[in-house]
Amino acid sequence: MRSAKVLVRALPLARALFARRPARGVALSAHQTHWLAMLLFAVQFPLLPFVPLWIGLFGMLLVGLRLLFLRRDRAHGEGPSRPASSWLLLVAAMVAGFAIRQDFGYFAGRDPCVAFLFILLGIKFLEARSSRDGALLVCLSGFLLVALFFYSQSLLAGFAALPALLLIAATLQQLTVPARRAAGLAAWRSVLGSAGRMLLQGLPLALLLFVFFPRLSAPLWGLPTDRSAKTGLSDRMAPGLISELSLSDAVAFRVDFDGAPPPARQRYWRGPVFSLYDGREWSPLPKPQPGRFEPAGSAPISYVVTLEPHDKPWLFALDFAVAPPGPAAPTGDDAPDSTLALLTRDQQLIAPTPVTQPLRYRQLSVPKASFSAGDGRWRTEEIAANLQLPRNFARTHPRTLALANELRGRHVGDAEFAGAVLSHFNEQPFVYTLSPPPLGAYPVDGFLFDTRRGFCEHYASAFAVLLRAAGIPARVVTGYQGGEMNPRGNYMIVRQSDAHAWTEVLLDGRWQRYDPTAAVSPSRIEMGLGGALPLGEPVPLLARLDSHWAKGLQLAWDALNHDWRRLVVGFNHERQRSLWQELDLGRLPAWQMTTIAILIGTAWLGLLLGWLAWRRRRRDPVHAMWQTLCRRLARAGVAREVHEGPLAYTARAARRWPEFAAVFDIVGEAYAQLRYGPDVRAERRAAERRLRRALQVLPRARQLARS
Amino acid sequence: MTVRTLNDAKVATAQRLAAVVAQLNRIVVGKDEAMRLALTCLLARGHLLIEDIPGVGKSTLAQALAGTLGLRAARVQFTSDLLPADILGVSIFDAPAQAFRFHAGPVFNSVVLADEINRAPPKTQSSLLEAMEERQVSIDGTTRKLPDPFFVIATQNPVEQIGAYPLPESQLDRFLMAVELGYPDAVAERDLLAGGDRRGQVASLPALADPPTLLEWQHEAAAVHVAPALLDYVQALLAATRGNTGGETDAGARRGLSPRAGLMLLSAARAWALLNARPMVLPEDIQAVFPSVAGHRLAAGARAGALQARALLRAVALP
Repeated sequence: MRSAKVLVRALPLARALFARRPARGVALSAHQTHWLAMLLFAVQFPLLPFVPLWIGLFGMLLVGLRLLFLRRDRAHGEGPSRPASSWLLLVAAMVAGFAIRQDFGYFAGRDPCVAFLFILLGIKFLEARSSRDGALLVCLSGFLLVALFFYSQSLLAGFAALPALLLIAATLQQLTVPARRAAGLAAWRSVLGSAGRMLLQGLPLALLLFVFFPRLSAPLWGLPTDRSAKTGLSDRMAPGLISELSLSDAVAFRVDFDGAPPPARQRYWRGPVFSLYDGREWSPLPKPQPGRFEPAGSAPISYVVTLEPHDKPWLFALDFAVAPPGPAAPTGDDAPDSTLALLTRDQQLIAPTPVTQPLRYRQLSVPKASFSAGDGRWRTEEIAANLQLPRNFARTHPRTLALANELRGRHVGDAEFAGAVLSHFNEQPFVYTLSPPPLGAYPVDGFLFDTRRGFCEHYASAFAVLLRAAGIPARVVTGYQGGEMNPRGNYMIVRQSDAHAWTEVLLDGRWQRYDPTAAVSPSRIEMGLGGALPLGEPVPLLARLDSHWAKGLQLAWDALNHDWRRLVVGFNHERQRSLWQELDLGRLPAWQMTTIAILIGTAWLGLLLGWLAWRRRRRDPVHAMWQTLCRRLARAGVAREVHEGPLAYTARAARRWPEFAAVFDIVGEAYAQLRYGPDVRAERRAAERRLRRALQVLPRARQLARS
Repeated sequence: MTVRTLNDAKVATAQRLAAVVAQLNRIVVGKDEAMRLALTCLLARGHLLIEDIPGVGKSTLAQALAGTLGLRAARVQFTSDLLPADILGVSIFDAPAQAFRFHAGPVFNSVVLADEINRAPPKTQSSLLEAMEERQVSIDGTTRKLPDPFFVIATQNPVEQIGAYPLPESQLDRFLMAVELGYPDAVAERDLLAGGDRRGQVASLPALADPPTLLEWQHEAAAVHVAPALLDYVQALLAATRGNTGGETDAGARRGLSPRAGLMLLSAARAWALLNARPMVLPEDIQAVFPSVAGHRLAAGARAGALQARALLRAVALP
């Protein structure tokens, strides 16, 4: 009811907005329309992988439709192309908006809004008629182009945006010249060439702003989070989840070590820790308690993690972190930013908000296999939680309980019991595989005694359950194990295929790491997934060990991307501050920095303008002198008309300033002689001398204006 | 304006031309620009169309021009029954000599005043216009050369008058320039009224040149230097008449100027420069002749066309 009222009220407004009014500004020419179409295509193209297929096709179809109309109108000889009916377009926009709402299920979010903008651009193009509309379209294209970086900030996305950027410059240029003189697409070489030159001339200014324009330490507003699924570890663990993740080549994070990387068997990147088990799924404790960092002890490993956005709050660190994560670039005076992430009692690093943007942080770790469980009032609760077993455990897991009891009877010590379980995995015919057979309602029982084929999550889960059944506190830890050094760029790539699950057992007040997978397949830990699985398994190409040429190529490309992440995308507040520090600018007050930046910018602009003037002067000194005169007289109040010849102009000036009539006479005659006279060298030289001398005699503009 | 680089011969030419203009101005009072344009037209080897009402001095202009330059002049009054032979001449059987003898028509004079050319039927009009273009006449299989210099001054009544056959565009194109004389201003008219017998004065004008001298002047005019920058300017002007100014096209424009008109514009500008004692053409020279050269090609009626041409001049920037 209320919305209907609003709609009725909005109708006159819409009518006013969309009424056929005389086009303001100059009508777009066919050539200009063609350039706009090329620009729109170039902006739409890189976004195609990120919008639904029908949106992409529809948006491009709208642009193509306008081109078709243009051809039809030209064939019929009707002057400038007739734009489509505004009412029809309004309806089309509303239908598109509704369809997007239906497709996504919501509207106020990043993805549906980008999709809507994608469509609106095409609709606006259909009704564009004046050069003002054209300028608006260029502006909107800029917005849509920026939207591309919501989805990907990779080097490839940067490259994909370049043609559109070039076309934005070219189209703007074509819109500023009179419509009739706009160049067609056939002249693309010269048009794009000059647009490219102008962009290059602006590049130093862009660099200057990049380095000096202050960056905010936190964004002004957060990006709306979308309900999109990103690959990465989940906040629960069920059989099959990690093996599914292991099929992905995608990069989880990259690591730059200050020194040598730790050996492969120590590369446990800690992620979510799970204590609650319902018989099928593992989930974390509901209320994480703050934890204490392990003492640093011997020299810790220092490294910088470049984390890909995974829409979850946890950060990854090598077991075990000894300090909170800090800014990637040391800013000197600043203390490590303690708000980056908090440590929980089970040694997880949790950020206050989900990681939706690439994040770089510095981390210190000491590679160890155990950490102190700590004291305090939470200790008893922790022990109780990590002994918890599903209800009716004895009834649903009879064989598991029997095995635990049998082993417990033979091994009294907790550590011996854990070792016995590992030997059980090792000695019985267990198989490590990415594609285990499906398990029934009680997967641990079925796995331990029937199938005996599983991936790391099966082993970790079964191991923890067996220990709990024997009364020893144990839990499952997920994360990544391993990582591959990229020889180009000397950093480590950790992929989703390195996802792993292991266990921790509470022994003598310390949580001790046990990796049951290592007992079944030791090469998984030493050599990664590719080394552990037989050839028939569907291991992702990049996780394989053999040096395929495509893998080498991919590593090189990844190194480039890593540098791009590090130097360009990751150039945030902290890095900017540290760069200033390196340039010894850090101590300057803001206004001095601003002055320096403005001075450099002005100097560059001056250099460019000076170069242009110098080039013109060298090419045609006479014309330059004439221009000087025209400027001087114009400032004094007598501007040359565009069609005015030298004699007519100087005669007019002589009438205004009769006391200099003789000088103007000489100037006009000498310039006319030089510009339009026959090319006789001696005469030209004499005329040039006369012109120069006469210009020296003539007073400055201000004096002329006063006289 | 002093131009230092004229050689002596050119200085002499300029002085003699100035004398010609001065003498013309004494006969047709107060029409300095029209006089100069008429002389320019002659120097550029083009023909002149004067569009005006009767009695403003068209015939006087033609006779004064012929007398001052020492050329033979003839006048043809065009009427609706005028035949081509009346202009070109006719072969008549000479009984004693037993042969045809050619009686040359008025066209065989250096200056031909074709009065009220738009009163004659098209066939007669075109016979004269063909002679103007080819500077020769073919009668009964014999081709006869017309005198050199050969200069036609045609007058026409404003088109809206009764009993007129307006010249088609293709024939208008043969005229280098179209000028208007217009009524003289008050001072000049008073002078005219007080001045007594103009016909007598015209008859007794001293000749300041002769046909060979005029030919030499025409050669000199053709040799005046035109800088490449000015060729750009002429091209821009031509493009502008074709509607390529970047602005809106004028609905009144018939069509643009032909390349031939462009050549004519250049030669008129050269002659104008010579008349102004300059060894090279300046933009001002082109601008001075442009309304007369382009006017009758752009619109029906010399006045409307000249107005349009002036507007174009203001719109086209000097390169």
